[in-house]
Amino acid sequence: MKKLTALLLVLAMVLAMFAACGSNEAPKTTEAPKAAEEQPTEAQPTEEKAPEEDTITVLMPPVTGDYIELLDGWIADFQKDYPHIQVEVIATSWDDHFNKLSTMALAGEAPDIAEIPAKNVGVYVDMGVAVNIADYLPAERLADYDQNALDYMTLDNTVYGLPLYLTIQSLGGNKAMLENAGVKVEEVQKNGWTYEQFLKAIEAGTTADTFGFVFANAGVCTSDMVDVFGSISGITSNFTDDLKYAYTSENMLNLLKAVETMVSSGFMPDYTVEAGQRLVMLQTGKTMITGKAMPLFENNVKKNVAAMADGSAVEGSIDMEYVFLPVPTMEGVTEHCYGQVDGLIAMRNKNTTDEHLKNVCLFLDYLTSGERVANTVNQLLLACVCESGRQAQAGADLGQSPNNAAATTRCIGLVKAPPVGVTSEQAANAMTVMNEVIEPKFQALLAGELTAEKMYDEVCSAAFELFGEDGCETGFIG
Amino acid sequence: MKNPKAATIKKRRFFLTSEDLNGYLFILVALIIFSIFTIYPVISAIITSFQDYKPFGSEWVRLENYEKALSSKLFWKAIKNTAVYTAVTVPGSLAIAFTVAVMIMPFSRKSQALFKSLYYIPAVASGVALSVVWLWLYDASPSGLFNQILTFFHIPTQNWLGSSKTAMLSMILMSLLSGQGSSIIIYIAALLGIDNSYFEAAELDGATFMQKVAYIVLPLCKPTTLFLLVTGIINSFQVFMNAYMMTGGGPDNNTTMIGLLIFNNAFEYGKYGLACAQAIMLAIVIAALTAIQFKVAGENVEY
Repeated sequence: MKKLTALLLVLAMVLAMFAACGSNEAPKTTEAPKAAEEQPTEAQPTEEKAPEEDTITVLMPPVTGDYIELLDGWIADFQKDYPHIQVEVIATSWDDHFNKLSTMALAGEAPDIAEIPAKNVGVYVDMGVAVNIADYLPAERLADYDQNALDYMTLDNTVYGLPLYLTIQSLGGNKAMLENAGVKVEEVQKNGWTYEQFLKAIEAGTTADTFGFVFANAGVCTSDMVDVFGSISGITSNFTDDLKYAYTSENMLNLLKAVETMVSSGFMPDYTVEAGQRLVMLQTGKTMITGKAMPLFENNVKKNVAAMADGSAVEGSIDMEYVFLPVPTMEGVTEHCYGQVDGLIAMRNKNTTDEHLKNVCLFLDYLTSGERVANTVNQLLLACVCESGRQAQAGADLGQSPNNAAATTRCIGLVKAPPVGVTSEQAANAMTVMNEVIEPKFQALLAGELTAEKMYDEVCSAAFELFGEDGCETGFIG
Repeated sequence: MKNPKAATIKKRRFFLTSEDLNGYLFILVALIIFSIFTIYPVISAIITSFQDYKPFGSEWVRLENYEKALSSKLFWKAIKNTAVYTAVTVPGSLAIAFTVAVMIMPFSRKSQALFKSLYYIPAVASGVALSVVWLWLYDASPSGLFNQILTFFHIPTQNWLGSSKTAMLSMILMSLLSGQGSSIIIYIAALLGIDNSYFEAAELDGATFMQKVAYIVLPLCKPTTLFLLVTGIINSFQVFMNAYMMTGGGPDNNTTMIGLLIFNNAFEYGKYGLACAQAIMLAIVIAALTAIQFKVAGENVEY
């Protein structure tokens, strides 16, 4: 009897376990949703079949502080026009967003829409989960977006997503300290400056308590420094216009030598600086210029200065005015600013059908255009990269100083999109060289443990192996 | 001449008695859970290691992933880093845990419980929280805690996690100082199991404290030491969190552990097949090391 009871209990447990495992199936997509261009704006004849229910999953980090809350409101508005489309939002933090996305995609359970930086598009194309959105969006909708920004989301001449914003990564500084160091700030914001002028400025700005320049370089920030200093030396993308790998060019050697000089000069710290630390150093007067810096920092600094009154500001804060600065330019190089597009990508999963993808792209376009994108971009103190967004953004008061606003506009104009025609294999190889060679060696260069020449040789050696010597640029990029 | 017992065993192998069936039924749940969450992933990883994995249509690539892994300088560097980390942290951890356990033993039960709780606290904290605290301790600016201590003694400040000279040392120091709670408790349990008569006899013979430790405590704790050594090496070879949170593998890949490399290949670059091949090779290395340990250190050990 006891054995029979035990047997029944075991069977019950096993059944319960399987029941629990089996109850969490992914929602099925519908068979016949409306295509974007077919969306009715007027009442439909009653005999027409009602669109079937569909559910779209969106994986979204906090693009701005309140983005997820705003998203709920936008979804509600969207559903007024398309009540048959449900949207499920999976909110992530920036820390776990990409790991979660990769895990879901590798399992064949990718979200329908996800936020990614354009440089990661190749990973998902290579996985076979990225979708050519041009197949599901009408041409007139694609025409709403700036070609420059769309090019970032393009690989193998295929558009895999829509741009949300183009962020510019440059330098920022303390206006009073810069002027004390002899820098004509407004002139620099209007016309740019040379690398030699920049070096003189940070030398003059360095005192016993203050560094002339600080760049966050810990961990993943290393690649930011490579990107931003790349634009100083004329490298604006992984590949040149004729699709040769760019980090093997003479410009790379110039860039590495410049970093080596700055580190050994004492004008910038010879130790690792965390991302959050550089803004604190700027706010407390421990540095005159910081990088990477964005226009958005003006708001952070203003809030911190205001918080000094009630004592909630960063400890040791000083009253200061933030100025957004263009990166300097080395001799013989055309002036550029490093820009990075973050966008939304459409993805395929086990349940995806063509009809479902039409709904996905419809909602994707809705999020990256009009008032939604204008609201997002305003908070980041940037300019929209689509016409409908610009129209919605017109006349908005961003609270930005006129000179910083003008410098931002000028820098956005200096951003050069990556060349068209880069293959997913080239993009994946470039990512490998960056992550396995350039970033680690750059950390060693910053620590003074590797010379610029040695690092350059190692980068060339790794790149030649992956791209072939013919696939690498070894001359000077003007 | 045939051994009748062997014949019986051979015969029974093919027929399950009702008692056998009952036994299997009782372990059925555990067996199913083990199969779903351990056996299936292992078999799946082995299969994937021979594929160019894609969520929709993987391709068979034979041994290409293994060849790629073995020809990668970074793979060997990660193996070397992991081996160095293991070679220092495992014996170091054992020595610290054993010493602390021996020091705690003379105290009263209440005091022992207090010390055990204190030493076990880091094991309760999440690895991420611990790493954040250690990042603060290792702050490379002059205001960092460790650097302030160095400055107090007029020693130059260090770029703890940013320099190849100190990054691995920093990781090892973190491991040694924050992860001994479980080992201490296991050692204390082993020490409590030693009969007092051994110590009384040794005292009558005039043995010193160190002689008692060397000739009574260490030999009788050998099974515990072997257990901690084996599990310590297995855990150390799988170390991931410290490198991921503290250094990201840098500088110059000097703290890239094999666990971090596998993670990056799988979830950063989407090279799932390559990551599985590296994971399988790591499992083989760990299995080989464990077998060697049992062969070399496991003799004369009674459980």
